[in-house]
Amino acid sequence: MDFTLTSEQELLRDSVRALLARECPTSLLRAHIDDLGAGEPLWAQLREFAALGTGATVDLCLVMEQLGYVAAPSPFFAITCLYAPVLAAIGESDLDAVLAGEATGTVALAGADGAWHANAESAKTFVPDAATVDLVAAIDANRAVTLLAAPPVRRIETLDTTRQLYDVETGVPGTAAGVISHDALSGVLERATVALAAEMVGTARRLFDMSLAYATKRVQFGVPIGSFQAIQHKLADMSLDVERAWSAVYYAAMTIDAVADDRHRATHAAKASAGEAATRAAKDGVQIHGGIGFTWEHDLQFFIRRAYGAEALLGPTGWHHDRLADLLM
Amino acid sequence: MHLAWGPDEEAFRAELLAFLDEHTPMEARTRRDFQGCEDGEVIPAWSRAWQATLFDHGWMIPGYPPELGGRDATPVQTLVYLEEMAARGIPRSMHFPGYAIVAPTLLEHGTDEQRALVPAAIRGDTVWCIGMSEPNAGSDLAGLTTRAELDGDDFVVNGQKVWTSYATVAEKCCCYVRTDPHVPKHKGISLLVVDMDTPGIEVRPLRHITGVADFAEVFFTDVRVPRTNLVGAPNDGWRLTQGSLAHERAGLWVEGVARLEQAITGLIDLAHRRGVAGDPVVRRKIAEASSRATSLRALGYKGITSFARQGASPEHSYMKLATSEAGKACFELGMEIQGAYGSVVDEERGEEAGRWALGFLISFANTIAGGTSEIQRNIIAQRVLGLPRS
Repeated sequence: MDFTLTSEQELLRDSVRALLARECPTSLLRAHIDDLGAGEPLWAQLREFAALGTGATVDLCLVMEQLGYVAAPSPFFAITCLYAPVLAAIGESDLDAVLAGEATGTVALAGADGAWHANAESAKTFVPDAATVDLVAAIDANRAVTLLAAPPVRRIETLDTTRQLYDVETGVPGTAAGVISHDALSGVLERATVALAAEMVGTARRLFDMSLAYATKRVQFGVPIGSFQAIQHKLADMSLDVERAWSAVYYAAMTIDAVADDRHRATHAAKASAGEAATRAAKDGVQIHGGIGFTWEHDLQFFIRRAYGAEALLGPTGWHHDRLADLLM
Repeated sequence: MHLAWGPDEEAFRAELLAFLDEHTPMEARTRRDFQGCEDGEVIPAWSRAWQATLFDHGWMIPGYPPELGGRDATPVQTLVYLEEMAARGIPRSMHFPGYAIVAPTLLEHGTDEQRALVPAAIRGDTVWCIGMSEPNAGSDLAGLTTRAELDGDDFVVNGQKVWTSYATVAEKCCCYVRTDPHVPKHKGISLLVVDMDTPGIEVRPLRHITGVADFAEVFFTDVRVPRTNLVGAPNDGWRLTQGSLAHERAGLWVEGVARLEQAITGLIDLAHRRGVAGDPVVRRKIAEASSRATSLRALGYKGITSFARQGASPEHSYMKLATSEAGKACFELGMEIQGAYGSVVDEERGEEAGRWALGFLISFANTIAGGTSEIQRNIIAQRVLGLPRS
């Protein structure tokens, strides 16, 4: 197993990182709390990467990881991890425009229970970015895909101010676009789960980096708090979890790209490991920051919110452990 | 990024497997959870013969040249070797100090005369022990107080070592001693090669927590060691404590992860046998362990990539901490799964002759020896993350 990135992959990662450092400061996250349109200029910059919608999972993860690092408020996940692969699976002609970054969309699948599986309910939940994309691809109990333009939506208020999730009424007129097979839908969801896990690793790393920097400069009892063993051990454990999760995510991405037998188990291990890393980094991160980490004015909050929002999406850690148990036992 | 190695590595793997099929003795195929906890002979005769066979065929340390029991294997080939041995649970040797620590240390720092001791150390013909820990120098190893004072052409050694594995059977000892008590503690340590039959050495076996005599205390009273047995420069011994097989350092985690995976397979079988495979708590705990093992294997491989590119990899600092703690949790879970029978170790009524309960006790060896988990976290914080020393 070789984790070496190609020079093209390094270029992809570095260019996205530089773009986001420039275009997605925390001031954007703050503006986005009250103005959802604040994220639109960012998408104009990210659309050149929309072709990853049908690209290698490893490449997709490299971009998602950087988006998680800045908690980007962007429909990138909905478009490249959900909408484009669904269109690709049913041979929809709109796909080319999506991959070119000219058309946008999202996928409505979960019913009232919030779980991402085919069901007969017309009231769909947890649909990312449904209000800001061109089309919503609604999937019914028979996995028939209907494309809806501007269906009725209602925003779901969650802890995470950086990601927009919606209830969508899909029992409205739309365009029948085909049927996605069970295996194809499972494949789309696995790839999206690993990509979301990559995003969580980015968020976990940001929380860790902020906490390490704070522990190095914050002085109490006359010394940096990072010289105390209690703080050092927290940071060592956070760092271990981030490294472990990164490795689990890219291993899973490689198994998906290679259609390897281990890809189902690897997907669950990736999301669970990313969940462990992100929630630990969030909890210990606040604790290391102390009082300032508990304030509205400090930027740490955006990454804590993003971490727990992503943890809940596409199955939390315990759910993935239970699915992994089903495969193992 | 890719999942599989290339054709050269696969050819190497095929050659190794053919050798193992033909030569591996039955006793080396038992897939024990831990090595060196057998009662009776500390180093069984079959293992001595097996180690010599590996050496003679160039499979003892593949990265070394043939005269040192290897075949000049590349780093990735070495990894393939470690993977296959670990996957089959085949031990190379039942006494690690000689081939894994003494040999690389003497090769790098020894005199010609000392380097001449290396082939027998790797082949296992000479059994070595390492004199490091003392009653008052455990995690604070540099605080060791066993003294060596020059008297003519000899050092005279006085003091005590403890937790010294294989001391009851060793012929030689690589012993860390204080040669200058008047300088900061790291700067007054030297390394000596000591013959264990020298007058004034007394070895008292120590039973470890399971009741097996596996290590020992070693007492030195006016032990005369020739000055020519000094390894490296005087007072430069602390630097030498880091000695290990450099080209295998990138794969030190392989064995730990393989044993973890073996424990998880055992836990799944155990849960089925005990009728709790449907218990949601048991299922989730086993899956947590499995997910952890998957991520740690991936992290180990990532470390090899870093090692190949930079000659060092922070990943390996994480691997000992994580695999040892995860292993302990697996054995504890094995006890929990058995309910009232969790602590039963008798061969008739206990599961697998007390594998889980005894394994739990022995698993502390991995979270203590070679640097406790707490010291590992200090190392990660200070050397990998760059935090200040307290």
